[in-house]
Amino acid sequence: MAVSTPVLGIVVLIYMMVIFYLGWLGYKKTQMTEDYMVAGRKMNPYVLAISYGATFISTSAIVGFGGAAGALGMGLLWLALMNILVGIFLAFVIFGKRTRRIGLKLGAVTFPELLGRRYQSRFIQGFSGALIGLFMPLYAGIVLIGGARFVETTLNINYDVAVLILTVIVAAYVITGGLIAVMYTDALQGALMFLGMALLLAFTYVNLGGVVEAHQALTNIAYLVPESLQAGGHLGWTAMPVFGSPIWWNLVSTLVLGVGIGVLAQPQLAVRFMTVRNDRALNRALLVGGPFILMMTGVAFTVGALSNVYFFEKLGVISVVAAGGNTDLIIPQYINSAMPELFVVLFMLTLLAAAMSTMSSQFHTMGTAIGHDFYREFLKKGELGQTINITRIAIAVTILVSVVLAYMLPISIIATATAIFFGLCAASFLPMYVGALFWKRMTKEGAIASMLVGAFSSLFWLLFVHAKEAVPFGLSQAIFGKATLLSGTWTVVDPIIVATPLAFLTAIVVSLLTKPIPQKHLENCFGK
Amino acid sequence: MLGIDDPQIWLAYVLCFLSAVGCIIYGALKWNEGEEEEEC
Repeated sequence: MAVSTPVLGIVVLIYMMVIFYLGWLGYKKTQMTEDYMVAGRKMNPYVLAISYGATFISTSAIVGFGGAAGALGMGLLWLALMNILVGIFLAFVIFGKRTRRIGLKLGAVTFPELLGRRYQSRFIQGFSGALIGLFMPLYAGIVLIGGARFVETTLNINYDVAVLILTVIVAAYVITGGLIAVMYTDALQGALMFLGMALLLAFTYVNLGGVVEAHQALTNIAYLVPESLQAGGHLGWTAMPVFGSPIWWNLVSTLVLGVGIGVLAQPQLAVRFMTVRNDRALNRALLVGGPFILMMTGVAFTVGALSNVYFFEKLGVISVVAAGGNTDLIIPQYINSAMPELFVVLFMLTLLAAAMSTMSSQFHTMGTAIGHDFYREFLKKGELGQTINITRIAIAVTILVSVVLAYMLPISIIATATAIFFGLCAASFLPMYVGALFWKRMTKEGAIASMLVGAFSSLFWLLFVHAKEAVPFGLSQAIFGKATLLSGTWTVVDPIIVATPLAFLTAIVVSLLTKPIPQKHLENCFGK
Repeated sequence: MLGIDDPQIWLAYVLCFLSAVGCIIYGALKWNEGEEEEEC
């Protein structure tokens, strides 16, 4: 069902006008560097919570992971649980408070800067900045795909131009209004997302006859799982896959652990903790953050799985088949065929909001990573130089790369590419981030070693062992003459499972072997 | 339970709700804690 374009046009126009107003508000309130980078450290706790949630949850979480749940089933709810417990509770209560305090004491305005100053190393800041600048476009690219897929199926038009216009609008308010504009617009977008997802859940359960009835119907069609998936360990959409099977490893190691833990070391999220005035704000933010995430990923994964019942009852096929084999199209297909027209318009806006809220933070983080962290602090040793221009150019170039990637990446890629980026961040940043906050004995050398080991072992595993990426990339085949260097179960174990512990181990061993950070600097970081 | 046979799934379903409620309770209990603003 295609939605009438005028209705959608007017709704989108009103939405864009409000966004424009909020962007302008951000621009007006931005007077100093701290305003641009960390929203002046005075952000309202609820805006923080919704902004954090809306950035965290992109179209990729809803469309990509919801689609993955359509194929793999409700086992993905473990990821929703991780999102709430790790991504919200642990992140705000344990990581957030210390990040805020140390960031303030060291005057850090970006995530790489927090790490660089804590360990007194420009290299750490520069390398982290470069890593973000290089790999975040992959993540931004798939967020674009997530939004574009929906436009593609809803409006039934060539979406290239729409995507480009959308990108330019987001870039405009990010460049002019900085993080204040990003967070204000996030709050509006988050509210829309909450409403959209709540209605989606309600409609789905009502359509399928109730909560228990819907689940039961899904349990009853387990026999429809295609043979190829059954062979991989799939036991139905309301059952976990066979323990240790390839599908189990994909679900548990890549999706649940990779994304569930990786979120802690996401630069665009960690910087949020430095935007509030005190710990009270972080406590209060939890009140909104927990239910918000439940409503996002919890709903997306449940509805994604339940779409199988709908498609089976209506078309006699399962979701993956109804979506032509592309899991990224399951949620859009489901919304378009199962929901009332007005809701399709609202959901279109929900996804637009989800894409924009994540993109805006990605653009902000990529731009500051290259302009501030890599160029100013690493190359120019803190001198201002052409920082502002470089940041703008960096934003433009990284956006361009994201758009190009959005066209080049293969189908069913959204969930996987998100996991790649989250995994890389976890392996490279998490050990030194944890050390920065909780382990005073961790040294600069330990931090650098763990960052390099984490980044390179993660990439190595991705290109040479993990079959899902290593085989299509073909680098291992070209150099060593075999598709993957290891065989058997290893080829389905996600890089994060290998690289992150390795990086933690490196951090501990190297730190214990090198000279501790001077007491005086630690007092600067933690207070006396 | 809840129309789901596998305990590994319904447990996740229930825990999702409980953890969100936990966040609400924590936020409400600590509503006024950590107010002092630290200056460096």
